[in-house]
Amino acid sequence: MSIKVKNLSYVYSPKTPYEHKALEGITFTIEEGETVGIIGSTGSGKSTLVQHFNALIKLQEGELMVNGFDLAAKKINYKALRRDIGMLFQYPEYQLFEDTVAKDVAFGPKNFGFKKEEIDFLVKEALTLVGLDYDEVKDKSPFELSGGEKRRVAIAGVIASRPKVLVLDEPTAGLDPVGKREILELIHNLKNTYVKTVIMISHNMDEIAEFTDRVIVLNERYLIHSTTPEKLFSDQNSLNGTGLRYPHVVRIQNLLKEKGVDIELEKMTVDSLIDEIENKILK
Amino acid sequence: MSEIINFKNVSYEYRSGENFHRGVIGLNFSIQEGEFIAILGHNGSGKSTLSKLINGFLKATFGEVNVLGINPSDDRRIYELRSQVGMVFQNPDNQMVATMIEDDLAFGPENLGIPREEITERIDWALDIVDMKEYKNKMPNKLSGGQKQRIAIAAILSMRPKILILDESTAMLDPKGRKEVMATIKKLNKEQGLTVILITHYMDEAVEADRVFVLNQGVITVEGTPAEVFKEVRKVRDAGLELPIPSQVCIELISKGYDIPFVLTDEDLVDALIEQKQRKSKQKPGFKFK
Repeated sequence: MSIKVKNLSYVYSPKTPYEHKALEGITFTIEEGETVGIIGSTGSGKSTLVQHFNALIKLQEGELMVNGFDLAAKKINYKALRRDIGMLFQYPEYQLFEDTVAKDVAFGPKNFGFKKEEIDFLVKEALTLVGLDYDEVKDKSPFELSGGEKRRVAIAGVIASRPKVLVLDEPTAGLDPVGKREILELIHNLKNTYVKTVIMISHNMDEIAEFTDRVIVLNERYLIHSTTPEKLFSDQNSLNGTGLRYPHVVRIQNLLKEKGVDIELEKMTVDSLIDEIENKILK
Repeated sequence: MSEIINFKNVSYEYRSGENFHRGVIGLNFSIQEGEFIAILGHNGSGKSTLSKLINGFLKATFGEVNVLGINPSDDRRIYELRSQVGMVFQNPDNQMVATMIEDDLAFGPENLGIPREEITERIDWALDIVDMKEYKNKMPNKLSGGQKQRIAIAAILSMRPKILILDESTAMLDPKGRKEVMATIKKLNKEQGLTVILITHYMDEAVEADRVFVLNQGVITVEGTPAEVFKEVRKVRDAGLELPIPSQVCIELISKGYDIPFVLTDEDLVDALIEQKQRKSKQKPGFKFK
């Protein structure tokens, strides 16, 4: 198993007037190989939760095992943990800082202690995996690139150290539709490489429905669901009080149901919806 | 209705290093007072350049821009213009200037030299419109993203602009925040008659506009009502955009030979499908509509 969380709670600024409970009694498991979506309104605790996974936030209460590392232990090998758990923050293109793309991507592996020849190889590999032409971009300044390209470089910088788990905080925010789709497909394809498990925070229910195996729903610091997107979205009450909406395909399915037409979606995709509409309504 | 914005053959070019870029090329359009315009386009298509040409952040290299009878290149009238054209950006945190919401809203009108009593009136009015009255004496850092963005809008409203430009103002918000902000924008447009220009990557938001402009590499390639624009499937896709999901379903079914109308929303799609089903059940059994 990849990540095991048991009874995790977290309080910001404890014992001060600013004390704020961010997470309470969170329990779930993520298996190796899964693509897991984490959804919830702003302030529900999503970012606080994922920052526990590579110990950017120190465990206060509960148990947390990440890829074999016990984060409740007194001594933790942070370097090894953070090499295994790659983390991409919101708007990661703002973190690019080196004067060339290759140097920027090399920053991670260099700090994790890879050798010079290894680093060159890893940088080339990572840039190729994110769909950029190594020879074309390596000497460019990251600031010459377009928004979508910058985000790819930022992803390359995270995966260059060959993490086993990749955590992404709103990887598609602010991108245009084509850019969004490209990044999602890129993330999906990374799972054919050394990245075994993907955890992604998103506000876009359509992409959650299409790209994840399982969804964790946080609402006001509590975990309220951990289930497949099919089960989550087919329950018409599952998102009550969360401020979240259903994906389009599910809304269309529900509206049809209200009018007396039952359709079943095999997958939460537009293609699956079209097939069902053809079979049940138009044929 | 009268014309409020007019672009005649407007181009904007700029240099960065040795490279020469064209922000927008040969734009021609006219916007009427009270219209709700959505501007779509891929990252780098010139959307923000267009909006900055409206309030004089950028000056046209060629062509004529006319906003409320003012040429934004005319430095003598730039402040007059900017007091009429309010802009709200992506990140509300970058737009907050004061530690108290009331002070934040007072900042704009104070700079315009509005008398104290009127400022107080305007603040109450603006907070009422964005539905944030009870937060007048609160600090902005405790608000949710959607609430902050509504305060940013209220701060612009307190200057009583004629035109409101929103540059991806919902991009950082969660679904609830987006819904709140969109409801506020629509209310301002319908009830206050404010001219709204909404730059967005969300097709669902563009569907709500009166007219949509699609920008591709600095050129407006499609323009019209949302239905007219999204029907131009190829041009929309060429511009790096996608159709709203109900329209995707619709286009796919039409291309398979089914006789259903082109729609933009989930509700309209379902109505069209139900109508088709009823029509079919009246036909004789065994007949396949294809």
